[in-house]
Amino acid sequence: MKNPPFNYHRPATLTEALDLLAAHGDDAKVLAGGQSLLPVMALRLGRPDHVVDIAAIDELKHIATASGALSLGAMVRHAQAETSPMVAEHAPVVAAALPHVGHRAIRNRGTVVGSIAHADAAAEMPAVCLTLGATLHLASATGTREIAAADFFLGFFTTAALPEELVTSVTFPPWSATSGGAVVEISRRHGDYAMCGLACAIDVADGVIESAALSFFGVASTPIRVAEAEAIVVGQRPSPALFAQAAEVVADVLSPDSDIHATANHRRQIAAVLTRRGLAQSADQIGIPV
Amino acid sequence: MNLPSIRAAIGETISVTTTINGASRRFDVEPRRSLADVIRDEAGLTGTHLGCEHGVCGACTVLLDGEPVRSCLMLAVQADGTEITTIEGLANADGSLHPIQQGMYDAMSFQCAFCSPGFLMSAVALLRDNPNPSTNEIREELSGNLCRCTGYQSIVEGVETAVRIMGAQQ
Amino acid sequence: MTPGYETGPTSDRQTSGLGFVGQRVKRVEDERFLIGKGNFVADLTPDGVHHAAFLRSPFAHARILSIDVTAAAALPGVTRVFTAAELNALTNPIPPFFMADGVYTPLYSCMSEDKVRHMGDPVALVLAESRYVAEDALELIEVDYEDLQPTATIDQGLDTSREQLWELADGNVLADTSFEFGDVDKTFADADRIITRTFECPRQTNQPMETRGCIVLVDPDSGHLELHNTSQAPHFLKWAIAALLVNDGAVRNLSTFLRNKERRKAFSSASKEFLKTNIDKLKSSDPAGQKAQLSKDKSMLRHQARMAMGLLAAEDYPTVKAGDIGGAFGSKGSVAREDIAVAAAAKATGLSVKWIEDRVENLLDGGQAREERFTVSMAVDEDGTFRGLKVDAVLDQGAYPAFPISGVATLLFWKVYMPGPYDFGAFQLNGKIVATNKGKVVPYRGPWANETFMRERMIDVVAAELGMDPGELRAKNVLREETMPAALLTGPTLDETMSVAKTLDHALSLIDNDQLARDKAAARERGHRLGLGIASYHEAAPGPPNFFESIQPGSDMFLYEDGRAEIQADGRIVMYTSQSPHGQSHQTTYKQVAADEFGVSMDDVEIVWGDTDRTQFSFLGTGGSRGGPLGAGVMRVTARELRRQVAAVAADMIEASPDDIEIVDGNIHVAGVPSRGIGYRAVAAKVARETGIADGPVFAESMKYEGVGNGGWSTATHVAWVDIDLETGMVEIPRYLVVEDCGPIINPGIVDGQVRGGVAQGIGAVFYERHHYDDDANLQSGTYMDYLIPTSMEIPDIEIEHLETLTAGENDARGVGEGGMIGAPAALTNAVSDALGVQVLEQYLPPHRLLELAGVIER
Repeated sequence: MKNPPFNYHRPATLTEALDLLAAHGDDAKVLAGGQSLLPVMALRLGRPDHVVDIAAIDELKHIATASGALSLGAMVRHAQAETSPMVAEHAPVVAAALPHVGHRAIRNRGTVVGSIAHADAAAEMPAVCLTLGATLHLASATGTREIAAADFFLGFFTTAALPEELVTSVTFPPWSATSGGAVVEISRRHGDYAMCGLACAIDVADGVIESAALSFFGVASTPIRVAEAEAIVVGQRPSPALFAQAAEVVADVLSPDSDIHATANHRRQIAAVLTRRGLAQSADQIGIPV
Repeated sequence: MNLPSIRAAIGETISVTTTINGASRRFDVEPRRSLADVIRDEAGLTGTHLGCEHGVCGACTVLLDGEPVRSCLMLAVQADGTEITTIEGLANADGSLHPIQQGMYDAMSFQCAFCSPGFLMSAVALLRDNPNPSTNEIREELSGNLCRCTGYQSIVEGVETAVRIMGAQQ
Repeated sequence: MTPGYETGPTSDRQTSGLGFVGQRVKRVEDERFLIGKGNFVADLTPDGVHHAAFLRSPFAHARILSIDVTAAAALPGVTRVFTAAELNALTNPIPPFFMADGVYTPLYSCMSEDKVRHMGDPVALVLAESRYVAEDALELIEVDYEDLQPTATIDQGLDTSREQLWELADGNVLADTSFEFGDVDKTFADADRIITRTFECPRQTNQPMETRGCIVLVDPDSGHLELHNTSQAPHFLKWAIAALLVNDGAVRNLSTFLRNKERRKAFSSASKEFLKTNIDKLKSSDPAGQKAQLSKDKSMLRHQARMAMGLLAAEDYPTVKAGDIGGAFGSKGSVAREDIAVAAAAKATGLSVKWIEDRVENLLDGGQAREERFTVSMAVDEDGTFRGLKVDAVLDQGAYPAFPISGVATLLFWKVYMPGPYDFGAFQLNGKIVATNKGKVVPYRGPWANETFMRERMIDVVAAELGMDPGELRAKNVLREETMPAALLTGPTLDETMSVAKTLDHALSLIDNDQLARDKAAARERGHRLGLGIASYHEAAPGPPNFFESIQPGSDMFLYEDGRAEIQADGRIVMYTSQSPHGQSHQTTYKQVAADEFGVSMDDVEIVWGDTDRTQFSFLGTGGSRGGPLGAGVMRVTARELRRQVAAVAADMIEASPDDIEIVDGNIHVAGVPSRGIGYRAVAAKVARETGIADGPVFAESMKYEGVGNGGWSTATHVAWVDIDLETGMVEIPRYLVVEDCGPIINPGIVDGQVRGGVAQGIGAVFYERHHYDDDANLQSGTYMDYLIPTSMEIPDIEIEHLETLTAGENDARGVGEGGMIGAPAALTNAVSDALGVQVLEQYLPPHRLLELAGVIER
């Protein structure tokens, strides 16, 4: 279980990094925290010719807000975000997700954007992006572009980012005082990838749910929003009966796979339970006990 | 920390400078070599153990700039310019044990002790940030380290013992 | 060290007062481990050592059509690439060890050259300047495989129409045995009811935190091999390697031997000695096993002759050294095929070689266990009286029989253990072993443990059928001292150490049934279900003297324990044990025992282990719960004998009678007159001066030890409280109680650790761990992301009560290492059954299965 050989690059600037990706494209892998890439390489399941280590690039290290929107650079580690008051204030759902990511030693190295770009369908951060309507900022040697989270995740470990592109940051839209959100999951052991998890958020005005987002992870090839369940709760007052109704719809709509950790039926069951628990926690957050 | 651009083709080595347990060290390493392998084989500090080499068991945990990390999930080049503490760096210069070592000794925490370096380093970081953790906080923090011998109870007691020792020292 | 903080006894305390034995003395081992100065095999990297990596089959069952190592051998940094055929030509096949009537054990080589039989089967070996380069080279080896039909399950193993793993077997059935005690037909005909169930136990793996590893150093001048290995049994490994590496013909070696007069003489006297000691056991050995093997395959005779002649002719045998070992749980007792291959490669090239197994290799073939099926019929009367037991058992051994302890040993243990500590009138076991295309089964902590699972689970089934309380049903049928027969139905004799009833009664007294009812109601309110489960068992630890006679006549020939005690000229007391500890803290406990016997501090005593040049032969090394009873026993008796020798000399020096001598804190004096004493070091110095021994032992004593008195059983009752969230299937264990009796405890801190660690593995077995192969025998749990070892969040605190039944024996400690793992799966599955109101028929209960059983989700 030793890494295969590779050409190593540690560019000091973003421009250099993008030039390297332009030159090596498909044969290159970006190394940020390495907590996903390095096990894959140690198992020799991945064998990139070029590894581009972006740790030295200062442009990628920011935690910042602009007009209430939170932006995290590609080198912001989970642990930094977890302890950041700015993240807690402007993206509490992100903050809620972070303690679920692996264990502390993993969070000390792994990056938020790295987890998004890796696009593990069982991971928390991609689902959080979907629920919050995050925007991914991509750069290449020829320019930059933005992709909405809803368009970013294409399949197992597959995103809309091109081989020569680097995801430089993620932006989460402003969070409102009338919003509540939660990240809930059930995993076999503490710290494991979830058998099923949910990142959810609702916005409530005058006691009525104005909008809702329910994104499940671990149940499909990408994180998946369940619009049918969201439609059930929008326009209604939070109540156990309403959330139970949404839960039923979730169980109907999802068609997860079975694996050695959980059957499809079990995942559907958990998804339904998490729907109730997640929505209740979200409502509770804005002072509506359910 | 501003690091210069570097590159190394396959087969080439890179010079990495780190401070390990207070001593400055320089290694010329292939970029693919893990930090764990360099700590063990180049620095000769074999107290850091490799249990799974894919980031789950935690036996290879060291402190990197004070924070616990899996040294099997880092390239040595990623540690360039950092400070590393391993299990060998815990005891005082006079040989007296760090409270976490003393606590684990008194609680008879380990059996085969292959996992012990990881538990010790995780516990050191925990108690630095949270000098009076609850039992559940200890259990949660240590859940990133696997032990196959003990059932964990004695390890949790070791941390609790260290808390008492540190309290008494103040 | 710290004001206001009591640290308790440590090893540097003097032995005045109560002594060390029985005290919670801190571990000597921790003095090196906690500062990172352990001595594990991977820590050793001699200059110029070459690093080994094995190419392993990605397929479960395939024929090898061709292998091309040209590109790998040409890679810079690669020293040598061996194909399987090259290494097999340098080594002998592994012969059957445990043989029994109805059993065929296939012979196999260290590498697989014609066909691969499981994912991970080794087909080539690379030596390179680093493990990195060795792994690079593996990617360059080209192997052409032709798929064969895989056998993945017990059902497929029993299906004779499937592709065979082993040509000479009957389909894939390697063993078909039957044992009967009492009149089974009559007992079943007379009983009021016969209740039958089938229990399934899926595959687990031992998973010590340290993988296996072997370093072979070659002396450039003599060619002597020195192996540094993670072996639980270094002496067995030494002789196995010596024999398996013999590569001259038998005739040539015989003539070499016959020409060597000294060797001839030595052999003749050693064999006479052996025959004298073991004649009864040799006579009692049943030749049926050998006959059964030879009826299938006679090649064993040829290989045995070749190896035996090679051993006789050899001038030099390998040395094996085992330093600190990072856990084993049975998985490091077998001789690894890799050990043989690495040693052969080192010998052939003259190069020193290091192989450290990685975790993926370990999960593929580092030792697997427990995949078994039991169809159980219990004959009972309406009042709950147990009458008879019939079990059809099948063990899935995987592809290769472990050497030396294969699945056959488990069948034989089942034969003796299965009726448990209960009063059955008749018992029948039909036991089969099937070969499947999976990693090999090795002993795993309480290797027979599933018999306790299936029996204790069955007792709860019977209780439910009869409408009785499971605790009361056990209490009614358990063997009690007042009415205990002289022997178990299956043979071994009984005595006061068969104390299961005491553990059961005490455990039942600690269950508050009213509180349980309240807790169950409260759980129900929360949408949870709470249940309680009980399990009792006994294990031979080491068992009465006739225990192994009952397993298989003559099988205890090598099960004594050797020990040696010395006082060196410089005054050091050195104790040599043939044990090979790997977490059990022998260094601490043996120092406790020896220091008390001598009357010195523990720090005055040095324990030597693991080095075959310095310790005496032991077949098992550390395994089988023997370290306390036999290993500590021989430390005690040799230390006592040495003390007698020293006291005699000292008595002479201080002009006293040896009978009046006592030793306190190393001071030898007449009882009550410490001021006129003499230090034992001064006695050693005097003898050293008089004998002219400057460096070496001035007193020495070697002894064999087989246990004293009537041997002993270790017993326990486990009680588990299990809480299940009916929404998610997640489990909590709010309370877990063990009432155990391993006799007088040498060190309670260490005993508690053994119990808790065993229970943790049992919790893993039931709720987290399954070594999962798919229908094509592809391993699904090939990393630690998928083989789930429970963490500190999943394992609760374990309550332990010790009973410490004493006997007249002089070293009365009984084994305790295996029991936790034996009792836990049964107690936990009984608790789940109670919680859900169903009768669980399988050992592995992940959350989805719990919800299926509860009727919350469909299968």
